[in-house]
Amino acid sequence: MSEIIHPGAGVLFMKVGTHAQESLADIIARKTREIEATGIGMWGYGGNTCHPSSMVQPFAEDFARRNEPIHLVMEEMDSKHFAEPLCAAEYSVDGREWKEIPKEIEVRGSRFALVIRKLRQAQFELPLARTRVAVGNSKGRLGSRYIAGRVDKACLEVLEEPERSNEEQKVRPINLVADLEKPYAVFLRNYR
Amino acid sequence: MIEVDMRTAVNAVSDVVENRPRPLREFDQIHMKTGDMVMQSEAIASWAADKRLAFIGDGDAISVAVAYLRKRDVLNFGPSRITVFDFDERTVQAVRRFADKERLEYLDAELYNVLDPFPDRAKFDCFYTNPPWGASNEGASVNAFVQRGIEAVGYEGEGCIVIADDDELPWPKQVLAKVQAYASERGFYVSRMNRKLHAYHLDDAPDLKSCNLFMSSLPENANRRAPSVSLTDPASLRNFYGGSKEPKVRYVHELKKPDYGKAPEGEYRLEFLPEESGE
Repeated sequence: MSEIIHPGAGVLFMKVGTHAQESLADIIARKTREIEATGIGMWGYGGNTCHPSSMVQPFAEDFARRNEPIHLVMEEMDSKHFAEPLCAAEYSVDGREWKEIPKEIEVRGSRFALVIRKLRQAQFELPLARTRVAVGNSKGRLGSRYIAGRVDKACLEVLEEPERSNEEQKVRPINLVADLEKPYAVFLRNYR
Repeated sequence: MIEVDMRTAVNAVSDVVENRPRPLREFDQIHMKTGDMVMQSEAIASWAADKRLAFIGDGDAISVAVAYLRKRDVLNFGPSRITVFDFDERTVQAVRRFADKERLEYLDAELYNVLDPFPDRAKFDCFYTNPPWGASNEGASVNAFVQRGIEAVGYEGEGCIVIADDDELPWPKQVLAKVQAYASERGFYVSRMNRKLHAYHLDDAPDLKSCNLFMSSLPENANRRAPSVSLTDPASLRNFYGGSKEPKVRYVHELKKPDYGKAPEGEYRLEFLPEESGE
């Protein structure tokens, strides 16, 4: 176990790679500059497995009430992501009130963004059989059964013990970590 | 055993799928997969044959499929009347347009939000609902829809509730228990349950299935009938559409356009072939 992966911890797991025609190294360098300039970064993503208002925000707020930080833990992967590199101009916490995204921050090719700080490279393992989905329609499903096929991200809670099973214990290598910052996740619009 | 021409049935439901609006995930609009829609439509047409059927919400368009399969002679049975009550005007108008185009006189739709009192209409014999599944509120959002269904049949009739059903997850079991208890308190008992039938276009829970939970009223249950009132209890509204989210929208309104069913012009642009330079 690590400082981040311990019983009761909340982690948002995500596989990351080339995104919107930009290499991962380029994304990390750009996001690091954005965090230095504004104090926060916006990490773009899509899909409904981590919907901002119905999943990520309540998940993170629940852990914040317990004084537990939420970490975004990412596994680097080879991918061909064909999202268009369109930059969002506005963001919203609730889908009703919209604000301009600071000019220093570029969020490309995404419908949603996680609000992050302290982006850094890391080397540790996430034992998926020791996690379970913490929110949404799959709440309670073991992480090792959930992260499969087209499902490549999840809001997970770390358990005291792994499930006792004869199934192969899936472990995911974590290469990149960030802290989630309030409001944790936002909607994006007005692409340029 | 009913014999159905599967090719004709799937093609008919394909027409229905083509007609329905795209789902808004923030309101838990999650569409059933087409193969399961075919099977479900046959099951509901049989269950509600010759009865007046109210749909309390219907983003899937099962109502349209049930009506259309009969029109196309895929089924020779079905409800005598179908009315859809939905807060999404896109759904309501899609039902009306399809009914008008295909001359389905027994199919209609009304704009209605379950938080409001149920409108005073002629009594229905049975209701169908596939509501938000209440993963974050122990089924309170399911029970809001069930309440309106019970009111639609005047506390006397039958209902089909389509909700999550999973052997591994704790919350669907809790929701099933809460919904059965809620219906029981209102004089309804579980008459049948078909487990783990339907799959959905649900990317955060691709393996999650739903069941058909059929309810029937106890004899003389109409005596329990009470005026329909607005749902305002904060405990019932909390987490209505997922964690931390109470309903804030009364209706989803449709943006009118002249070319329904066509790809919107904002979705594409044309690059023309060069024009021939003639002498």
